[in-house]
Parts: sequence; C-alpha cells; structure tokens
Amino acid sequence: MKPFAYTRAHTVWDAVAAVSAEPGARYLAGGTEMVNLVREGQESPDRLVDIGDLPLTEVRVHGRGVRIGALAKRVHEHPEVRRRLPVLAEAGLSAASPQVRNVATPGGNLLQRTRCHYFRDVRFPCNRREPGTGCAALRGVNRNNAIFGGSEHCVAVHPSDIAVALTALDAVVHTHGPAGERVIPVEELYRLPGDEPNRETVLDHGELIVAIDVPPTPFAARSHYLKLRDRASFAFALVSVAVALDVRAGVTHDVRIALGGVAPRPWRARAAEDALRGRRFDDDARAAAGEAATTGAKPLPHNEFKVELVRRAVVRALSEVEGR
Amino acid sequence: MSRPTKAPDKAPDRITTPITGGVGESPLRPDGTLKVKGEFAYSSDLWMDDMLWGATLRSPHPYARIVSIDLSGAWQTPGVHTVMTYDDVPGEKLFGLEHTDQPVMAHEVVRYQGEAVAIVAADHPETARRAVDKIVVEYEVLEPLTDAEEAVFATDAPTLHPGGNLVRHLPIRRGDQHATADVVVRGEYEVGMQDQAFLGPESGLAVPAEDGGVDLYIATQWLHVDQKQVAKCLGLPNDKVRLMLAGVGGAFGAREDLSMQVHASMLALRTGRPVKIVYSREESFFGHVHRHPAKLYYEHGATREGRLVYVKARMFLDGGAYASSTGAVVANAATLGVGPYEAPNVTIDCWGAYTNNPPCGAMRGFGAVQAAFAYESQMDRLAAELGLDPVEVRVRNAMAEGTTMPTGQVVDSAAPVAEMLRRVEAMPLPPAAPTDSYDLRELPGGVSNTTHGEGVVRGIGYGIGIKNVCFSEGFDDFSTARVRLEVIAGEPTAMVHTAAAEVGQGLVTVQAQIARTELGVERVTIHPADTQVGSGGSTSASRQTYMTGGAVKAACEKVRGLLLDIARERLHVEGQLHLDGGKIVSDRHGVLADLAEVLGDEVIDETVEWRHRPTEALDPTTGQGFAHVQYAFAVHRAVVDVDVDLGLVRVVALDCVQDVGKAINPDAVVGQIHGGSAQGLGLAVMEEIQVRDGKIRNPSFTDYLIPTILDMPPMKVDVLELADPHAPYGLRGVGEPPTISSTPAIVAAIRAATGLAIPRCPVRPEDITGTA
Amino acid sequence: MYDSGQEPVRDNENRLSRRRVLGSGALLGAATAVGTTVGVGSGHGDPAGPEVLGAGGVDITLRVNGRDRALRVEPRVTLLDALRERLDLTGTKKGCDQGACGACTVLVDGERVNACLTLAIMVRDKEITTIEGLARGDRLSPVQEAFLDRDAFQCGYCTPGQIVSATALIAEGHTRSAEEIREWMSGNICRCAAYPNIVAAIEDVAR
Repeated sequence: MKPFAYTRAHTVWDAVAAVSAEPGARYLAGGTEMVNLVREGQESPDRLVDIGDLPLTEVRVHGRGVRIGALAKRVHEHPEVRRRLPVLAEAGLSAASPQVRNVATPGGNLLQRTRCHYFRDVRFPCNRREPGTGCAALRGVNRNNAIFGGSEHCVAVHPSDIAVALTALDAVVHTHGPAGERVIPVEELYRLPGDEPNRETVLDHGELIVAIDVPPTPFAARSHYLKLRDRASFAFALVSVAVALDVRAGVTHDVRIALGGVAPRPWRARAAEDALRGRRFDDDARAAAGEAATTGAKPLPHNEFKVELVRRAVVRALSEVEGR
Repeated sequence: MSRPTKAPDKAPDRITTPITGGVGESPLRPDGTLKVKGEFAYSSDLWMDDMLWGATLRSPHPYARIVSIDLSGAWQTPGVHTVMTYDDVPGEKLFGLEHTDQPVMAHEVVRYQGEAVAIVAADHPETARRAVDKIVVEYEVLEPLTDAEEAVFATDAPTLHPGGNLVRHLPIRRGDQHATADVVVRGEYEVGMQDQAFLGPESGLAVPAEDGGVDLYIATQWLHVDQKQVAKCLGLPNDKVRLMLAGVGGAFGAREDLSMQVHASMLALRTGRPVKIVYSREESFFGHVHRHPAKLYYEHGATREGRLVYVKARMFLDGGAYASSTGAVVANAATLGVGPYEAPNVTIDCWGAYTNNPPCGAMRGFGAVQAAFAYESQMDRLAAELGLDPVEVRVRNAMAEGTTMPTGQVVDSAAPVAEMLRRVEAMPLPPAAPTDSYDLRELPGGVSNTTHGEGVVRGIGYGIGIKNVCFSEGFDDFSTARVRLEVIAGEPTAMVHTAAAEVGQGLVTVQAQIARTELGVERVTIHPADTQVGSGGSTSASRQTYMTGGAVKAACEKVRGLLLDIARERLHVEGQLHLDGGKIVSDRHGVLADLAEVLGDEVIDETVEWRHRPTEALDPTTGQGFAHVQYAFAVHRAVVDVDVDLGLVRVVALDCVQDVGKAINPDAVVGQIHGGSAQGLGLAVMEEIQVRDGKIRNPSFTDYLIPTILDMPPMKVDVLELADPHAPYGLRGVGEPPTISSTPAIVAAIRAATGLAIPRCPVRPEDITGTA
Repeated sequence: MYDSGQEPVRDNENRLSRRRVLGSGALLGAATAVGTTVGVGSGHGDPAGPEVLGAGGVDITLRVNGRDRALRVEPRVTLLDALRERLDLTGTKKGCDQGACGACTVLVDGERVNACLTLAIMVRDKEITTIEGLARGDRLSPVQEAFLDRDAFQCGYCTPGQIVSATALIAEGHTRSAEEIREWMSGNICRCAAYPNIVAAIEDVAR
C-alpha cells in the first residue's frame, strides 16, 4: 500500500476544505472500499481525510420524507426504513457480510467502484482506471459486465445494491463541495462511461455526499429488492431489480423499476414502467414490463444470459411485490 | 546436529494437552484449546526479530520467451538485501513431485501466468514487493497453448517441454473391445478448474544454520518430499535441510508441491538471515496447483435389464504448465473411470497434457472427482433411457467384494455399494418446500428475496464415488513412527513422534488415541512433526490414519513387547501379559503391577517404519495390475430446490453414507464427511477458476466464490464400519470419498428438477435458465 | 503490481518489530505531521482544526483487550497488520486481506468488523477485542468452549474469526433459528466446512 497522510476531520467544512485543497486527497469513511482500492493500487491517494467523526449518522423521518445521513450505520435495520422503504432495507441487508455492513456507510456505498475484473486487476488495461489504456473486458471474460449503458471504452457495472433501491425511490443526494451545496438525484449522480469512463460521477473533487433524501411517494411503501447472484449470500449481484409500486383499484397508478448489475449506474427501466402505468396490474402487464425492461440491451459475448434474467427478474419482482 | 542459534517465536511445540479417549472414541482435540484461543501458531505467525521478508516476481504472461532481466532497480532499492534468479539456484535447477520439470525460477521461457522469475529479500515486506516491481523483464510474448486435447493431438501445437506435451496416457483394456449392447448412452462432460482455497495462504520461514544448512519452518503436506526436493535444489545433503511443520491452515492437496520452500531457503542462505515469505491471497492462486479441469467423452452400453455390458471413455486432463502429480491423477481417473460398478468390458483412455494454463495437480479426490462427475451422469442417462430408477440402475451394477476391477484387480475387502445406496435412499427426506409463511432463507436465493415459492422445483439426485486409498502403482509407500515410553513425575507417559502433517483432519488426536489404546497409558504427548524422524509420507490420498496410524500402532506394539519382556523378567512371570489402565495385567493372574513401577527409570524408545501391502505397476498398454491398496466409497443423496425461472439452486439436504471400515475417531470422520461434501457442493454450483487465454480472471475470494455456511445444508451422515482385514484396525481412508460423490449427486438433483442435460460443472444460473 | 513505485517511507521507526512497545506516555500527534493544516481560524470549521497525521510514522495508542498499547504506525497500516506484526497478537488471521473471508474478524466497540479493511489509525479511540481477549486466563469464553466441545473447526485457521463473529452474533440476538445463525455467520468462510458443527456450537451458547 502506498504511503499517504491522514487527516481526521471533525466538521463537514474542514473535510471539504481538506480534500479540495489537494488533488491527491480522498475521503475515507468506513474504509471497506477505500482500504482495498489503495492496497490493490486502483487508488493511490496522497492523503485520506477520515470523515468518520462527522455528525452525519442520523436517520430522520420528517415531513419531506426520510433523511439518511451519509454516515448512518446499518440503515437497513432502522425500523422506519424497514416500514416505509422496504426496497432500501432489503437492498442494504443483501449487501456484503455482517462485518462489512457494520462499518460501511451509505455515502461510501454509493461511491464504490466497479467490480469489473479488469478494473480491479491493475495488470490489465482499463480506461476507467487509466484513461487511454483500453478496455480489457470487451475482449475478455465479460460475464459480469454491462448490457446497458456501456461504450466501446468501458462496459463496467456499478455494484451498489442500495443505489438501485434509491433510484427506484426517486432519492436525491445532498452534497457539500468547494462550490457550495447542491442536490443531485441518485440516478444522475453517475455518468455513463462514453469516452470518459474515468469520470464516474458528476461530483467535483472535494464534493462530499452528506445526506440522502428519500421523498414521500405513494409507491415507496410497496417496494421490493430482488437480487440474483452466484452464491446465497455475500456476493455481488449478477442482476438485481428494485421495484416500487402504486396500484389503485387494480390499476398501476405509478411505478419505479431500477436494475442493478447490468449497467455502469443504477439502470432505470422506464420502458418497463411505461408498460405498466395506467394498465391493469396483471400477468400480461408484468410480462410486458419484463419484456420492455430489456429494451436497448446490448449484451457482450459472455453475458447474453443477463438479458433473459432481467426479463424474468422484473416479472418476478413485480409478482413478489404484488402480495404486499 | 547443528541447530540454529535460536528458534523463531511461535515455533511448533510439543502438544501436551491430555486427551481422554482411545481408538473408536471422539476425544477433544489436544490442539483444540490452542486453536479456539487463537494461540495455535500457523506458519504465517512465525517471527524472528532479525528476519528479512521475501517476495516473488511472477510472469504476467502464460507463455513467453525471456529476452532479458534487469535487476538493477531492485538492487538499488534501500532495504533490499538480495535479488536472485534462476542463475543463482545453487543445486538442481528443476524440481517436481513426479517429473523434475519445473524450474525453481523461470529460465529462458515462462510457461504459465504467475511463474516465478526472480526473488527478493528485504527488511520490510512492502520494500520487498516494491523492489520486485522494479525488476524489468523483457518478454517475447508467445501464443499460449490452452487446450489439453489440442496439446496432445494437434500437429501444429507448440511443444512446451522437451519430451512433448503429453504427461501421461493411460489406456485401460479389459474384456471384449468390440462388445455391443442393446442400449447405448453417450455423453460429453466438462469439469471446471477448482481451487483448494485453504484459508491460510502459503507461508514459511527459512533460518540459516551454523553448519551451512537451513532450518525451514513450513506448512506442507509432506515434510520429507519437500526436504528431498529443497536439498537437491540447494545442492545440500538432506541432513542439512531440516524441516519443521508449522501450523497448517488447510491443505486439500495444494501443499503437496513446493511453493516458496526453495526460494526462502536460497534467500536465507545468501543473506545469512532468516527469511519469511507469506503469499497474499492473490499470489496463492498463482502459487499452487489446482484441480485439473477435464473434458470427458463417455459411452455406456447396457442390456435392457440395465446391466452394464461395456464402458468406453476418453478423458483429457489439463495439467497446465508443469506435471506436478498429473501422472497419478491420470491413473486415478482411468482406473476408477467406471466407478463402483461391474462392467465386463472396458475401454478407457486418459490423457494428461501440458498446456500454458495454470499447473494442476493434487486436490482432494484426485482424478476420481472428474471421472465420477461423468460416470454418474452417465448412470442417470442410462436410468432415464431404460425407465429405471437412478438407485435401481446403480444397485443392479453395484460392485462388491470379489468384483474384478477394470484393472483386473479383484476387490478383496468389503465394498458395500448396493447397501450404501439402499441406506441413503431410505433416509427420511426433508419436508417439501413450504408454500406459505416460512423462512426465506430456506429457499433458492436465500436472503435475496427472489421468491416466495414461485418457480421453485424440487429435485433429488444420487451420486456414488470410489477412491483409492494410499499411494498406488507399486509406490513404496511407508510411514515412520517413533514412540517413547517413560515415567515422568510418577506417571507413565508415551510420546509419539512422526513427520506426518496434521492439516486439520485430526491426525494428532488419532495418534494419541492409538498410543493410549495400545499402551494402556493415560498420558500421551505429541512431538512436533519434523524431519528428525523418518518420513510419514504425504497427508494425501486419504492415507494418514491408515499409514501413520498404522506406524504408530506398530511402534506401540514394539514398545509394548519390550515393556512386557521387562515385566516378565522383573516380575518373574511367564505367559500372556497385557497393558490396561497403566497396569501390567496377566491373563491368568490379573493385575500384577503398575506399569510405572516396572518401567522405573528405563526409557523405551522405538522407531518403526511401516508399510501397507505392496501394489504393482499398471501394464502401460492394458492398464492391468494390482495397483491400489484399498478402495473407499461414499454415496450422497442431494435434495435441491431450483428456482427454474431465475436459475438459482438451494441444496436442501445432502445426506451421506460412507463406509470407513473402522471409525478411529467418529467425530473426526463426520467432520471429514462434512468438509468433503461441502467442497463437492462448491464444485457443483459455484467454484471455478476462470481462465481465459491462460490467464486467471478471478484470483480472489471476492471473485472465486466458495460455499458459505448459508450454502451448506444440514447433513444426515450414516457411517458404516465394515472392516478391511488388510488395514490397521480394519479402517478405510475417509477424507476424499465424500468430495467425489457430492458433486454428481447435486448436479443430478438439478437435472431432476429442471429436465436439463447439464453436462458441465459448476452449474451457473445461466445453465439453468437456458440462456448461457 | 502495486502502484507508481513510490518508496515506502523509510526511517528507523518503520522497521517492523514486535518488540517495540513504546512507553504509554507517547504523545499522539507528536510525530511528523506532513501537509498543511487546513481549517484553522475559519469561521465554519472546528476551532481546533482537523487532526493531520503522517504520512510517516505516527505514534498512536490502541486499546486492545482492555490494555492500552502504544505503537508507531504509518497511516496506511491496517488494524490487522498492526495487531499481527506490531502487537504480537497473531490470533487474528489474514485469509484474504480483502474483507471476503472473515478470518480477521475483531470487535470494535463491541461490533464485529474486518480488521483488514480498517486502518489502525481509524480506531485509536475505540475498544478493540481480539480472539486473545475472549478467554479469562485459562477459562475459555462460552463460545470458545462450545467450539471446542462441538469440534467446530478442523485446521482452525478461520476459527478465531468465527469465534469472534459468533460472539458478536449472539450479542446481536441473531440466533432465533439455525437459518438465522447461518445467514448472519455467512461473512466467515470455513474451507474445512465445519459449518454444521459451527451452527451447533452457536446454538449451544445461545440456548
């Protein structure tokens, strides 16, 4: 692991100033991602600014929904989250292991880097890690890579579970940065790789996620996260689906469907939502939604199966949530 | 004998914790308290304050010519003490278990990704790694050869070794080679590359000794075969290379070959300082051999009643860049290629090939795993073709004592295959998958909330496996045990000293149990395993309880004989005496004296070399011969729930019947069955080293998934004890058979649930959703 | 294979030594502070400013198993390496150094975490418990006792992590069924697969 300096910040302002002042500075929250990235060489910061002491740990319910501090621990266990936002509780619980969940933070989770083998193994070229070196995944083993939103420069997928759930909940992140504060929808937090895969998010250097706001919506309470993986627990998603549903008198009034494990960011399946909205919520509609969810899929040589899995997983997730 | 000036902190120590039981009981492990307290010292825990740390430069290419190596960057790194390459190897430049074909470090060419090219010793592990990064190697990259079949048969394939690309071809010919049958089923099967994935990565500490030799503390499976190879490569006599077994964090075959043994010793001798090397998890994936991936072509012919007429098979095992134990793996796959069945006519060919893939060698099950996946799949196909129950078709063909194997060997001890099948079939089935309120964790997808029962289909499958125990084909396989009996603080105490490696299986417990039973003493201590005593042979081939257990028993018998001679002389008695509860007991007169009294100040210290009955080589053209010491069997019934829409599998039950001849330690037997079954489960549904163009794509525990406790179903285990008259206590090797049968049982259950052919393992979701 | 090739910081304090136990009076933050201090005097920030340490060796105190242990570490040193290489607490094991196996599980303020994913410097003010801190002298903790009695291990390499993890799991109350135990123990890999016996051992203690 490369040496770095360490700063422990006690206020948001200090933290933002410390990282903004130094191009090689990075935030350190729970450490479950950053420590690995530094050890394995995908990140080589000059300084880590530990934000573990910042007062961003609260989960609070208020008139405008649920506010989740960026450093709140085990959000999935919070009774209000479980009651009001089941999709988020399920997504959080499905991630990693109890040990990792004890220290991981929502902010860090949203900003974790891709699990693409070729990003993680620094011996391979990777445009995301080292711009201009090429994408080894395109011609390599790409079973775990993207079927949506990739480019000829990068086909990585974003590994977060809660990002998918938050996307389905119309959640936004609040940030503090050198240029002030702003609010960004979770879905728009991430950039598609295009020809600049190294720019993963819209955040400026030094911009810190301080909170996540989940607005009150009629669909949040009836929501569900479904995760398909190669092992019963403690594995990243091959395909995951977050659904949130507002059905009134048997007709879908509103719905959100977001996919994980298939794109460089949580992938909002708008065509699938459109296939449901205003129609009777029945098997036909769900099948149509599943079909529509695959619209625009561009599978790679080893991940064509994900297209069919998406279709089936969307149908299943919708059937599961129906009973709630 | 010269010893180093001091031993490392946490050097292996004598085990003195008393145990309470004898043969047939399940005492607590004498090393167990240390293990639960975190005080048991593994090889990675060793420490000397003046030690250096070694690191290894490895090839990034699976096949390349080395044009030049520039070491200057490493030499110039502050804190670096030495940098060494092939040119610095003081003795033999090549090593290997069966063929000396692997260079200690690469010379002129690299044949696999991860091959060692240079080594560095520095005062800090990070410094050593950075120095390694500064070595500049210019490679001329060559097109790797990555297909075993092509390696053997393609005329335009590059020749990777001077003798060609074939490590071994073994044909088995028995009976009518042109037999025909009413019913014929064919299949092509594939088994992926599995990793042993022990939890404690390779590590060791080499300490230069005053006599110019080296003391090597190492986690290994066979101290003496390491010693022989290391001494040769160092150009030293064996007695100057002393090995001590340091705590072993699992083995499963991956510690049969050398990893850093020679490297650490070279660095220590060159620098005059102790050198420790610890592999990272990633490096471990490159630092040991794996289970051979296999391609198997099978044809079974049977009568309409379901009796096998012939079995034909062609098997290709990818040995990777160096031979390791490929030759013996080939022999197992071929000779056990029919499975535990009677087949009058057999035509089997098995090839083990060199390629530029990662080297493959020993892993629990050793060739029998790959064959069993194929032959058991074939038996299910045959059952389906005939409309027979899968158990019924197996029972009709089950081998038994007296069966003639495809090698011509007549089985001369119990082989209760039919009974085992019937017993596992009769075990109660788990309740049907619940359909309303229940624990999600009991369904495929587990906590992933994938289903409340929709799409879930239950399947049941059977698998049976056969394994040879001990080393085969005429190998002079022996184990040595030293037993010392003396009175310490008024109590007769036996010390057992062997070089056999405890790797978690419980060998130290078994050794103590045997000494207690044979000598009738309460107190037994276990000397650390080292090369100061003769070879204990390898902790592999399910052989240690048989071989080292046999040696300890023999040594105890010798000690007992001498003790009873002393007793007769001192007590002036004749006739039969025996030992019981620390007393000398006469058949006629009962208790005569305390053992401690009779022995007094005398010390009886005896060393015995013990052999199993001899075997013979296989005829190279027909594969005929009395090659195997013993056969062992396990049968599994797997019950799976498959979410057929989403491709998820949950193993609901994995019940097992195994014949162990005699359970020396019943708890340890059950532990081995749990462990073997779980590793078979891993191969069935998740474990595979993904290799593409010769490069490993998933060298981490994040990407190479092994079963967690949530993947492991409850197991009902039924242990049979049908004594083998040729073996000590009648015991049968235990560790491997359950690994062999669990994979085909689980895959059969998935097939039963899905109706799919599934010719390959591990089975992934896309293999079930049909969209692979 | 690691990164840009920058040298590890080299000073005499940087040599690994398990023998080096500094006096408990070692001052935090007295070591070389690299970089500028930001935030001081700002109207928004903490008046004391953030604490800036490293990149060289930093004197810290870790409270491990109820004892304060002073040591000098670089910020990059993980809790796992600090325990094993500096404090001679080798019971905590390195299985994957990536948070994927659980062999390095320790308790930080009573919660189980992976010591390989935690920098030592992050937990200076926390209570750390390792496998060595569970027994009271020769008296094993109930979980240790149960693992021994149930033969819930073979090679034992994952065992310290399993036992620490199980200790936390029982405190968390995740023992209402065998299935729940299995779900909440799935962060600890056992390759010997003593899993059925691990479940039994935990059930014994939870009962």
